[in-house]
Amino acid sequence: MDTRQKAYFGDVHEGMTIPSATYGPMDRYSYIPIAIILRDTNPLHLDRVYARERGLPDVVQQGPLNETYLYRFLTDWLHRPWDLRKTKIRFAANVFPEDLLTCHGTITRKYRENGEPRVDCQIWQENQKGEKILLGEATFTLPERG
Amino acid sequence: MIMTPDRKTLIGRTFPAVKYVISEDDIRDYLPVAGEEHLAFLSDEGARAAGYERRVIPPSFAPHIAVLGMLRSFDWEKDFFLDYKTGTAMFGEQELEYLRPLYVGETLTIQGTVVDVYEKQGKRLFDVAKVSVTVTDGEGAVAVRGALSYILFK
Repeated sequence: MDTRQKAYFGDVHEGMTIPSATYGPMDRYSYIPIAIILRDTNPLHLDRVYARERGLPDVVQQGPLNETYLYRFLTDWLHRPWDLRKTKIRFAANVFPEDLLTCHGTITRKYRENGEPRVDCQIWQENQKGEKILLGEATFTLPERG
Repeated sequence: MIMTPDRKTLIGRTFPAVKYVISEDDIRDYLPVAGEEHLAFLSDEGARAAGYERRVIPPSFAPHIAVLGMLRSFDWEKDFFLDYKTGTAMFGEQELEYLRPLYVGETLTIQGTVVDVYEKQGKRLFDVAKVSVTVTDGEGAVAVRGALSYILFK
């Protein structure tokens, strides 16, 4: 259950920080259903021996599952999950089992588009070592008090 | 040294459209893994209480749909000149716009077109292939649109 206080359009301003959220530890058993859903049989995500032969410390979490937590950071905080309008996300580093992922955001712009309140923000995700995993931008709508 | 064919020749290539049903099975598997708990993801009643017409999927599942659509529509070897057993492909950037909520049970059509390919030098030389993606619904209306870029090492 996300306990972060929700915001209204009138409350937010440029430069404001969105309350951060930490997820994890990441669980290697999650990679099996994700592999099935994606129909992605790449052993990099499932076979530790194969990953180590490629010089990696462990299996690599699927990229879309990394994104899941950056999305949740926004959609759990928004009033309604589909208040999310746009995302632009760059993949910077791999996630491994047991990692903790902390997501951050800063509001960069507040405006209206076709009458709808819109907020742009910079978002990023880092692991427990402070390494950037995902970097990007998002746009969402917030309700007005009424 | 094995020469990779010029991937710039891929620009303009449109992959076959892929149909994907947002199945109950996939969502049942996904929700606990993702920790997605909003009532709108669990039942029609929960969704209506949140103002949706019926049960929706989490927005976090949308990138999975774009990615699985592309994985089913292109062939690494034929379409990207990449030997998937020995080569390395990674995600670069993903840009998605959501024009409406997505619903459990609906059938979507996913289609990608290679819109750009360019070479970059990092620790290794690689190509970036940018693929525009549209996700259309049963009525042919676009529900999600955007682009995925893939990093393909040489």
